[in-house]
Amino acid sequence: MGKPSKAGIVSSLRLNPRGRKDLLLAVILLLPTVYILAKTFIYPIVQSLIWSFYKYNLMDGSDIEFVGLRNYTQMFGLHEFWISMRNTAFFTVFTVGFELLLGFFSALLLNQMFRGRLFFRAIIIVPWAMLTLVNGLMWNWIYQPGYGAMTVVLHKLHLLPAGSNPVWLSSSQGIMFFASIADIWKMTPYMTLLLLAGLQSLPASLYEAAVIDGAGFWKKIWHITVPQLMPAIIVAIVLRILGAFRVYDILTVFTGDPTTSVSYLTYNYAFRYFYLGRASAMAWISTIFILILIVIYIRMLKKNSELE
Amino acid sequence: MANLLQTNAPASSAGRKARMTSKWFKAASHELIPPFYLWLGLILLTLFTLAPVTYLLLSSLSPASELLSGRLIPATLTLMNYVRLFQGPSGAEYVHALRNSVAVSVWTTVFTIGIGIFAAYALAKIKFPLRTTSLFAILAMQLLPSISIIVPMYIMMREGISISIPFTGIVLYQSPPLLDTIAGLVVAYTTFSLPFAVWLMAGYFQTISRELEEAAYVDGCGRIGTMFRIIIPLSLPGIAATAIFTLLSAWDEFIFASAFTQTFAAKTLPVAIREFIGRHSIDWGLMNAGGFVASLPPVILSLLLYRYIVGGLSAGGVKE
Repeated sequence: MGKPSKAGIVSSLRLNPRGRKDLLLAVILLLPTVYILAKTFIYPIVQSLIWSFYKYNLMDGSDIEFVGLRNYTQMFGLHEFWISMRNTAFFTVFTVGFELLLGFFSALLLNQMFRGRLFFRAIIIVPWAMLTLVNGLMWNWIYQPGYGAMTVVLHKLHLLPAGSNPVWLSSSQGIMFFASIADIWKMTPYMTLLLLAGLQSLPASLYEAAVIDGAGFWKKIWHITVPQLMPAIIVAIVLRILGAFRVYDILTVFTGDPTTSVSYLTYNYAFRYFYLGRASAMAWISTIFILILIVIYIRMLKKNSELE
Repeated sequence: MANLLQTNAPASSAGRKARMTSKWFKAASHELIPPFYLWLGLILLTLFTLAPVTYLLLSSLSPASELLSGRLIPATLTLMNYVRLFQGPSGAEYVHALRNSVAVSVWTTVFTIGIGIFAAYALAKIKFPLRTTSLFAILAMQLLPSISIIVPMYIMMREGISISIPFTGIVLYQSPPLLDTIAGLVVAYTTFSLPFAVWLMAGYFQTISRELEEAAYVDGCGRIGTMFRIIIPLSLPGIAATAIFTLLSAWDEFIFASAFTQTFAAKTLPVAIREFIGRHSIDWGLMNAGGFVASLPPVILSLLLYRYIVGGLSAGGVKE
């Protein structure tokens, strides 16, 4: 996408008939979208910033009252909030890390030429296409103590002593870990497809020079593939962090404990206790964090498109 | 090299073996992974991908007595769980949720594409001030989480949405409260799908060459004519990809659906699945059947339209 040059802006403002007609048309075409987004996206986001400075309790019917930064200071003093932050950070780092690792090697496999490649490329889309809630349900079933597939398989492989029958989802650490595995299963294909697209844009003769030099598999990956693929890798990581940080839906299948993620805690404050002011403050913490990532991402995109 | 080995008869067996091993463990010059490891990796990948889904399907086909015995592959298969899924009052609720999901996803897709396509055309093909800035603003909106706007949106749904002319106080239309309605969910999902639909379609429109447009102008088409006769037909794959992503994300959405719906009037499948877990606590056969049915449409759709989905993903910026 070309940057509108200074001359472009000036000429379309200066009233040359074609430019003026185009401008009018652009405004008309954009109007419905802009109106909807202003009404149901931008206005709510500003509204939630305003409410984050108010005491706004929907349940007890008390008046809306300006409290300044109190919602924020209370939130930062809240033990629950820090636990939810820690859990979200764990979930994000753990899932994105493994998705990157598994997705990278899957993409390498699927980028080679072999018989039936399309079949293998197609099946990896199945986990990604499944409903998030069903994914949670399925893994919950796999983790069931006694008769769940995980316990059965571990017993058959003798990795678990015959008499032992652990309850996998008993502690909140366990829940975070096993919910992360469910997410890794579902979202690795997404990472794979992003990285595969990156690999396909690299030249086919990539490794030929290295073969002459006699480089091995790991050397080739480290010195050729990874540096060449870096832009795609960073874009994929940022997109996945944006996705993982907002985690809410899959956790509700595993636990009723709202401290497992910031979104969960925010949701609970909003729709269980109806403390809308405090929930807005919490939502804005997520918003700010994600806005920072978005700025980084857009910078990356701009840099990538300049390189091309 | 091959000729040499063939003529050398006594060494041929050992030679073939060595050749076989080297063939399996050495990568071709332009490839990275030797065939042996390639296929090992592919087997692991297939196992990792398909084993959980297969297990889900098998358990949904398994009689209740076998489910809790810890057999991975049931000895007898039955469709009983699927019959029960659609039977009785809870079956009626499931069917209702299924119907709601279809309605919400289809309407969201229709509105998103119908409205977004014009904005995408303007952003891709018309030069006007602040165009790049608007594109990036749209990208940023696409990446924000629903939790950022869910609270004010809830209040908006509770009070109904009014369509008014800004700064005049003239109200053209005031809707009834939208909590617990399909319309409410369609509004929320359209809001959330519009930015990424516009971003994605604008990207596709930009790939269509200027010469084609110029040719249409010469033939006497106006801007709008060019859009409908040239740009849209040529970007149909891109529009299809956008529509699929909108459909899939509406089908999968949970956070708005659980906040804005309380009764079965507007509950969608994800909410119904979430409630399974409380209601049928250990009836895993029934739950797995329900989960399998709910996942079938998006999985089949993605496999059929695989090409468009991959194209859309690599066009970049699709959140999940």
